[in-house]
Amino acid sequence: MKCVIAFKWAKNPQDARVSADGAVDWRAAKMVASDDDAAAVVVARDLAVGDELVGLTVGDGDVAWAAARGATRTVSVADVEPNADSAVLGEVLAAGVRRIGGADIVIIGDGVWDQMVSMSLAGQLGWAVLAGVVSATAEGDRLHVTRKSGTGTEVIEVGTPVVLAVAARRAEDKPPGMKDVLAARKKPLEKVAMADLGVTSVGGVTLRGTALPEAADARIFDGADPEGAVEQLMTALRSEGVL
Amino acid sequence: MDSWIIVTEAGPVAGMAAAARELGGTVTAAVVGPRLLAESTAACGCDSVQWFSTLDSVPAESLALQVADLVAAASPRLVLALDDPAGRVLLAVAATRLGAALVSSVPGLSVEGDDLVVTRPAVEGKVVETLVVPGALAGVFDGEDVDVVSPVPAAITEVAPSGMAPSMRIIETTVAPGEAAGLQQAERVVSIGRGVRKREDIALVEELADAAHAKMACTLPICDDMRWYDESHVVGTSTQQIAPDLYIAVGVSGQPQHMSGVRAAKVIVAINNDPEATIFKKCHFGILGDLYEIVPALTAAFKRA
Ligand SMILES: Cc1cc2nc3c(=O)[nH]c(=O)nc-3n(C[C@H](O)[C@H](O)[C@H](O)COP(=O)(O)OP(=O)(O)OC[C@H]3O[C@@H](n4cnc5c(N)ncnc54)[C@H](O)[C@@H]3O)c2cc1C
Repeated sequence: MKCVIAFKWAKNPQDARVSADGAVDWRAAKMVASDDDAAAVVVARDLAVGDELVGLTVGDGDVAWAAARGATRTVSVADVEPNADSAVLGEVLAAGVRRIGGADIVIIGDGVWDQMVSMSLAGQLGWAVLAGVVSATAEGDRLHVTRKSGTGTEVIEVGTPVVLAVAARRAEDKPPGMKDVLAARKKPLEKVAMADLGVTSVGGVTLRGTALPEAADARIFDGADPEGAVEQLMTALRSEGVL
Repeated sequence: MDSWIIVTEAGPVAGMAAAARELGGTVTAAVVGPRLLAESTAACGCDSVQWFSTLDSVPAESLALQVADLVAAASPRLVLALDDPAGRVLLAVAATRLGAALVSSVPGLSVEGDDLVVTRPAVEGKVVETLVVPGALAGVFDGEDVDVVSPVPAAITEVAPSGMAPSMRIIETTVAPGEAAGLQQAERVVSIGRGVRKREDIALVEELADAAHAKMACTLPICDDMRWYDESHVVGTSTQQIAPDLYIAVGVSGQPQHMSGVRAAKVIVAINNDPEATIFKKCHFGILGDLYEIVPALTAAFKRA
């Protein structure tokens, strides 16, 4: 089935710099693929067997990430910034999927850094969608999708077109080797702008500002004297009312 | 300004309803699932419940459009859902119908003039950011639950099925492994991480759990790499979220993927021998020391208590 893998659409908060006045500086942070993206591309590769796997990405950062992991070509919408309104990125990605055309399945990382972009993408495509996906197999023209449910899992049968938001359980096991990374740079890359896709939305959320959280400092007892530290801890727990 | 809450699973529904109350208007719940869920939601402080009954074999997601139509017809200013997979799907479809801004984490909100204002942790909790939403807002509620005092249950109206064949079907359900370890209901939990050096050493910590009347939990590597406990004991992003009164983490570094599983714990205690361990920034109390010395002392203290 023809699959689109949407990848690298967020910045890693660990790359942001927070200054003493609580201001956040994202300038040094580029968009990067997350652990969820890596899990998503594994699912995508299996479902796309015998058909095309197209990468779709936004913003800055490594556009060849999916091509190094099996995508045959990539579409990149470069002039995109993260937005607190997840519907903005959802709209950009949905427009990208329409531009690619003919996709049966869109696979995207569920998104630890923003868990609604993938959902909004599906909402704006008007497609069925499952979140918390662990794995999926094609059974004829339908899919059997295993997804998290409460503390267990469910296998759900669903037709296409469908969006699958995949949640990782670990970091990528086997990153591609140098050969694949170099070959990926030679694969076709189409760069488009938001305007080419007819997307003008700026979103419905404005950021008023950021501040340091009120210091909810932990009380740390010195365990050099285990009995003493434990005594202090028990007193503290008693006053918190949890003993 | 009226609000809707979408409920597909048990969770901090009363907290979500209380957050929606901040807008001053009515709070309507759209519940997709068994009658029991509709009844528990009705007792959570909302004004009315629209109940979409589902068969066991039909996932809540397959009713997304029907729910979105109902929500959009009421054109509320605010829609909230919890962060379970189905809740997020229904929220996004409703947001698209409403043309609402979509915010992935809303622990609570306030009204300033005509604006909705959301204050939430960002950048892995290093800052608090304030968002202003002048129009309709759809958000994932991830704030705290509240106790509802003497609730008068809201009226439940069953919504007639649309007659459309469901587009999805549940063909298999694995027994929720999380239930096996009993962590969901536990008031006290003691967890171990890779700071515990050998399998035999677990006994030391299990003795602490016994003395504290606590259940045992662990980090993902203890299950996936060491195979000392099965999955039902693991807590975190990719496994389960728990809300005990007391969570004692022993030899756990405190990575975000683990800590997101205990965000709702009332008191978090860390025992770690690395003063730089991240968990010391994410706990309420800590003991800096060797777990092999601290744990026996703590066990003795619990036995005396
Ligand atoms: C996509 C993804 C999903 C994930 N999901 C989860 C999840 O759901 N749950 C989860 O738990 N993890 C999850 N992880 C893994 C997570 O990122 C961490 O790797 C893991 O939680 C670390 O486990 P740990 O604290 O046991 O080990 P470590 O990080 O190795 O920490 C061990 C700690 O023990 C301390 N220590 C060592 N010796 C002693 C001693 N003698 N006394 C006291 N302290 C000592 C050390 O100082 C250290 O802080 C996930 C990772 C990824 C990439």
